[in-house]
Amino acid sequence: MAGYLIRRILYSLFVIWGAVTIIFFVIRVVPGDPATVMLGTSATEEQILELQKELGLNDPLLVQYVNYLKDAVNLDFGESFKLGGSALDHVFYRFPFTITLAVTAIIISITVSLPLGILAAKKSNGIIDWMISTTSLLGQSLPTFWVGIMLIIIFARFLGLFPSGGSGSIAHLILPATTLCLPFIGMIIRLIRNGLLDELSRGYVQTARSKGLKENSILYIHVLRNVLIPVITVMGLLLGEFIGSAIIIEVVFSWPGIGRLLVDSILNRDYAIVQASVVLLATVYVFLNLVVDILYGYIDPRIQVEESR
Amino acid sequence: MQKWRFTVNKFKLIVLGSFLILFAGCAGISEEYSGGVSSEPTDKSTAAKSDDQTLKVAFDQSINSLDPYGAHNGEPSTVLASRQIYDTLVIKDGTDYKPRLAEEWKEKDANTWVFKIRKGVTFHDGSPLTAEDVKYSLEQQVNSEDSPLTVLWNDFEAVEATNDHTLTIKTKKPMGTMLSNLSLLFITPADSKNDDFYEKPVGSGPFKVESFVPGESLILTGNEDFWDGAPDLTKLEFVNIPETAARLTALQTGEIDVTWTIPADQIAELEQAEDIEIIKTPSYLYYFNWFNSSREPFDDPLVRRAMWHAIDTKTIVKDLFGETGEVMSSPIPKEVFGSSDMETYAYDPELAKELLAEAGYPDGFSTSMMWSNGGGPQILQLAETMMSYWSEIGVQVEPIQIERAEWIEKLVALDWDMDLQTNSVITGDGDYTLGRLYISDANRNGYKNEELDKLLIAAKETTDQAERQKLYNRVNQIIWDEAVGIFPLELKQIAAIRTHVEGFKPSPSDDPEFRYVSVKK
Repeated sequence: MAGYLIRRILYSLFVIWGAVTIIFFVIRVVPGDPATVMLGTSATEEQILELQKELGLNDPLLVQYVNYLKDAVNLDFGESFKLGGSALDHVFYRFPFTITLAVTAIIISITVSLPLGILAAKKSNGIIDWMISTTSLLGQSLPTFWVGIMLIIIFARFLGLFPSGGSGSIAHLILPATTLCLPFIGMIIRLIRNGLLDELSRGYVQTARSKGLKENSILYIHVLRNVLIPVITVMGLLLGEFIGSAIIIEVVFSWPGIGRLLVDSILNRDYAIVQASVVLLATVYVFLNLVVDILYGYIDPRIQVEESR
Repeated sequence: MQKWRFTVNKFKLIVLGSFLILFAGCAGISEEYSGGVSSEPTDKSTAAKSDDQTLKVAFDQSINSLDPYGAHNGEPSTVLASRQIYDTLVIKDGTDYKPRLAEEWKEKDANTWVFKIRKGVTFHDGSPLTAEDVKYSLEQQVNSEDSPLTVLWNDFEAVEATNDHTLTIKTKKPMGTMLSNLSLLFITPADSKNDDFYEKPVGSGPFKVESFVPGESLILTGNEDFWDGAPDLTKLEFVNIPETAARLTALQTGEIDVTWTIPADQIAELEQAEDIEIIKTPSYLYYFNWFNSSREPFDDPLVRRAMWHAIDTKTIVKDLFGETGEVMSSPIPKEVFGSSDMETYAYDPELAKELLAEAGYPDGFSTSMMWSNGGGPQILQLAETMMSYWSEIGVQVEPIQIERAEWIEKLVALDWDMDLQTNSVITGDGDYTLGRLYISDANRNGYKNEELDKLLIAAKETTDQAERQKLYNRVNQIIWDEAVGIFPLELKQIAAIRTHVEGFKPSPSDDPEFRYVSVKK
């Protein structure tokens, strides 16, 4: 187990390093750099060259890369030229907003899909089952930004139930979190439904039935908890997915999370913030994956992690 | 391995736990962050009862910095914030300038300006504002390496605080733009050198900084001790709502009170809303399409004129921009000092073809046009319309839509055939645009003309404003007749306010003063 953990952690570090490296080079390959953006249209070429030198952008790319890695290992991700101050500070300030949004989306996903999944399993192949499938397909195929704007228009402008954007209270969370989880709810409902149907055809269910247990007791006491195992796993992975995919939603709902910061920073070629955000996002994603994998072994002892040979 | 049974109880625990984390998270956020749009949607009854004068403003750009001499001081959002927090020596009023921190001024000789600094003005921290502070501020601006406004002060020689309330500015050459430049020089205390000063800066303006999150929100409070009377507003919040639909919804639901930059197709709907008022004003923002005169075929003025005659500017403005645009009559917007009133190029494709034939391109030619993604309202539609007009006279244009960072790089390197963009004459004085962009040495578009250079320099170095206007009339005529670019339209600023907002006057440069604004009870 210890060997497995060490291997997994080393592997995670490798993935994070890979993400850092890719983003480091990609953002430098695209045309335009901080010096041009900073000086804007009124700059002369000499001014740009001067500033590039000052910002160390004229050093060979590999030198910049090695310097960057050296600093990054010491958790120094540089200064943001656009917003001023340490890039990591900006990223850490924004990150809790994104986490809050993602966790809310998870909670909404569970509260909506659990009862619907059970309902669909109970009336499998009925009209409810069909309706849920259709709705979930719709949820998956509609573009997120459009759904977001529609929700704003319906629930903020016409019904006045929720604020249209910004942050500060739980009411602010509902619309963006709903938009975020909408494409995934259908998938989770189907996961629960199929899992339940699968379990219900097993031997122990028949035993329970022949023992005379009520159908509801079988479902809620025996079957459901077996189904929840894969659901919890998916939730863990979804949390990572939500954090990563919050970008568009944060822009639509002016939610001050890390995604919006990232978009602005890419447009402004604010290298330090882009890199710091990507490192943090990659770390969280990798960490969640690791936790899910380890938890999985604990939740279901039949799944043994492979011992290192 | 320890056996870990997953029970319903544990599941409950997990759900409960995550709710707790969530609420803790929300509580933490609302404590440290209150910059977003307020939590309560409109509750008109309580708004009417309370006597707090809070105004929430959102626009489509974020305030990234409060440093008035840094890389951001060309950005309207930084100027807007500075306008509330700091004060200037003079302020533009129509085409003239009114005293602010400077009570009066005189030109001692052609190269010496003496300003009398107002007594009894204090910064937000209580310290008095003196000529030393003004001297410091001007020196910061003049020596700033990354500010786009540093060029305004190329002819600056020295500044001296003769005594606490007398300031002398010496110039190398007479500076016709002295007052317009000073209207953008924001005064900070002389000791504001440390790095984190601009995180929560102190000024002498009508509003104090309560909190600032770069790129996100700025919260100001009214300055009771403002020398010209405390503003009515006790609280002024600027929030960033990048999405237009969300921004307009926030206005309709009353989450924000004032916003500007409204797309043409949204005006009608907002005008119907009873509690919203639309205000249209001229702005310093306009479109131009430059030709790279250092490249064939645009080195030939006949070709450039042909391109302009091929375009039906009036129809474009009417159909694409409606009330948000106006056909230009000068290479700078009407509202800017130094603009002239000239006849626009007639739409005449036949004449355009004749001109092309005369220039040696009877069958037209192929070229390209670049613009930056989001470089102006409806820029894509404008570009497409222009290209389709040109294809009618046989000119095939390859569209190059690129991201802003890349566009700047190409623009500055003169690596383009045609460049479509918006431009703002931020100082409100023609020199900022004409003198900076059209002088041969600047080489911004490959066009060189000695006569134009002489006129531009003369206009810059004359302090007699009537004389300057005459010189700019000639400048405008040359740029127009030589068709250095096509100047299709200037944009109007469309602001939308909730009707309980009083005293709001939009500014042509998007930096309205909120000291005159109040909320009706």
